Amino acid sequence: MSEVKTPPDSARPDPAPASSGAAGRPARRRPPRSPERRRQIRRNTLVGWSFILPNFVGFAVFTLVPVTAAFALAFMEWNSFSSPQWVGLANFQRMIGDENFRVALFNTLFYAGGHIPLTLVAALALAIVLNRKIRGVKFFRTAAFFPYITSLVAVAVVWNMLFNPTLGPVNQFLEFLGVTNPPGWTASTDWAMPAVIITSVWRDMGYYMVLYLAGLQTIPEEYYEAARVDGANAWQRFWHVTLPGLRPVTFFVVVMLTIQSFKILDLIVVMTDGGPGRSTLVLAQLIYREGIREGRFGYSSAIALVLFFIVLTVTVVQFRINERGKNR
Amino acid sequence: MQGRLGQGLVSAAALALVLAACGGDNGDSASSDGGDVTLSVSVWNIEGTPEFRALFDAFEEAHPNITIKPVDILADDYDDKITAMLAGGDDTDVLTMKNVIGYSRYANRGQLMDITDMADSIDTSNLAGLDAYDIDGQYYALPYRQDFWLLYYNKGLFDEAGLDYPDHLTWDEYADLAAELTQGEGGDKVYGTYHHTWRSVIQAISAAQTGGDQLSGDYSFFADQYDMAVGLQESGATLDFGTATSQQTGYQSMFETEATAMLPMGTWYIAALLAAAESGDTDVDWGLAPMPQVPGSDDVVSFGSPTAFAVNENAKNADAAKTFVEFAASAEGAKAIAAIGVVPALQSSEITDAYFALDGMPEDELSKTAFEPDSVVLEMPVSETASDIDTILNEEHQLIMVGDKSVEDGLKTMGERVENEVR
Repeated sequence: MSEVKTPPDSARPDPAPASSGAAGRPARRRPPRSPERRRQIRRNTLVGWSFILPNFVGFAVFTLVPVTAAFALAFMEWNSFSSPQWVGLANFQRMIGDENFRVALFNTLFYAGGHIPLTLVAALALAIVLNRKIRGVKFFRTAAFFPYITSLVAVAVVWNMLFNPTLGPVNQFLEFLGVTNPPGWTASTDWAMPAVIITSVWRDMGYYMVLYLAGLQTIPEEYYEAARVDGANAWQRFWHVTLPGLRPVTFFVVVMLTIQSFKILDLIVVMTDGGPGRSTLVLAQLIYREGIREGRFGYSSAIALVLFFIVLTVTVVQFRINERGKNR
Repeated sequence: MQGRLGQGLVSAAALALVLAACGGDNGDSASSDGGDVTLSVSVWNIEGTPEFRALFDAFEEAHPNITIKPVDILADDYDDKITAMLAGGDDTDVLTMKNVIGYSRYANRGQLMDITDMADSIDTSNLAGLDAYDIDGQYYALPYRQDFWLLYYNKGLFDEAGLDYPDHLTWDEYADLAAELTQGEGGDKVYGTYHHTWRSVIQAISAAQTGGDQLSGDYSFFADQYDMAVGLQESGATLDFGTATSQQTGYQSMFETEATAMLPMGTWYIAALLAAAESGDTDVDWGLAPMPQVPGSDDVVSFGSPTAFAVNENAKNADAAKTFVEFAASAEGAKAIAAIGVVPALQSSEITDAYFALDGMPEDELSKTAFEPDSVVLEMPVSETASDIDTILNEEHQLIMVGDKSVEDGLKTMGERVENEVR
């Protein structure tokens, strides 16, 4: 980029044919290409490529090619055995009429709509509580982070048992509190998704708490002191000092949470497998089902493409909002 | 452009396969002209499925120049994994067909070798379940094992309640019996019967006994069976569906810990039950009875599904693979697996006697009668749409069983969804 600093005019006065003696002046924009110089450029290029090649080959073979292939497959019909047939937009037309797709899209939005805000609030609350100098704070921080490093299958199985409609501790507790008709959780179409959301919030909040803790420690103590001197109460200090100070962290957390929420698959597969009925069927699971199980890789890729654009749009909007907020 | 992309995809898939198959096949298998052959066979959970080992040992003894190399796959992921392997041109010689739906899928995609000549040349009159592998007169696999459903019961709990053993029941008698056998509360509760969460427990048996077609789109024939099952669940005579799914209750533990007096289940459970008794994990005193029937039926009708071996279209050792498939379907193969309590596809009185002579098998007449139902209907018909319909029937089954939909509404939605979504 440094060449840009050289005023472009400096190269202009030189008449075109007279450039052979210019070898000693590196600042020239279009130096004459002697064979030597050309060799050097080629060597530099080769060295550059050899640095990135090992990584790039791996990326190309395992990510770039499959992703590009998936994009192309969205416009084809392919059962993984015969050669792909070009079908144009047929897969997308089919998607519009496909009730499974609508159900999965709704469920994915439902999940994201619950998981993102709840995890955000829970993580922030935990971080604020555990940012104080209280006795045993390290223990509590570790405890809060623990769910995140626990095996997902174990988490799903244990929460499933907790949510057991008749014998589960959750409902027994609710009954103890006087709830006469507690929800059926994973055995009910209305409550299965909330049950999954609760489990995922519990699992993820520790990780985002750590991010928030780091963010909290970057807010200078002087700001709080100044606010106190000005007579701000705790709520005002939180609203006018802490939250603006956490802005970059919050932005990062929201973007990560969004991407994570839209591609939810693992927890749901282990916990409810999309059931009961289709009440927890999500897009990622539908992609898996249509592609791997039914062998409709074209249709499956088309759904994947739609999911990709949803996530892309949401993320771009978030970036825009963030930019606007910064300029204010 | 299209062609080049196709090639690119194929090579990408092939590359993925090479990686996926790491550790799968590194044996040097010579060609089959008299030399030593290493035959690769895809199996699931080989440690927990002793029939494979029994069959392989017997085969290797009969064919000393062939060594079998199992390709072990996680049972739950078996069909997905095979699909992915075949998509990449995998050359595992013999492919075990875990279920008939998977079989029809592979066969229709041209991934299995046509072995109709073999099916014609051997004596298949006593080979149960062979019909399931008939695709327009062609055969791409031969069954070696044929499981069907019957009623397991706990003799001790029946004796305690002073009730007769469940001999040729109707479903109504079965439901009454289940209510009578239910006792206790909370963690110590003993249920009259246990219906596992699979849809077949209700749908396949009712299709078999009423002659209904699970691919038809009209599911009113399920109604009686659902009414019975939902009724039992509401009265508490069986563990409710919601609890069973959220606890991931196993039918084995329900029966082996004597938490249920009856259990409709497939014959594959016999081998596991024998093994559990031998290792001392359970001392339940059990017997077998025929599946309960719809009223007015003279015959004992049950449902079941065969398991088969097929030869991969890309097999490296096709001849040896065919030899193996034929062996598994023969009397020798049948004896090898009957010896460990697995029900072979080949049926003869000799093999049944050998089967009931096993240690720990019930010896009463009722159990032996239960072992010979008059007809066994295929669990799910073979069709290109079977897999999609299976998904729909399963989802709606869950909704009926958790009480989200009435039986009537559920059956109606099943029909509508099959009409609208399956093309």
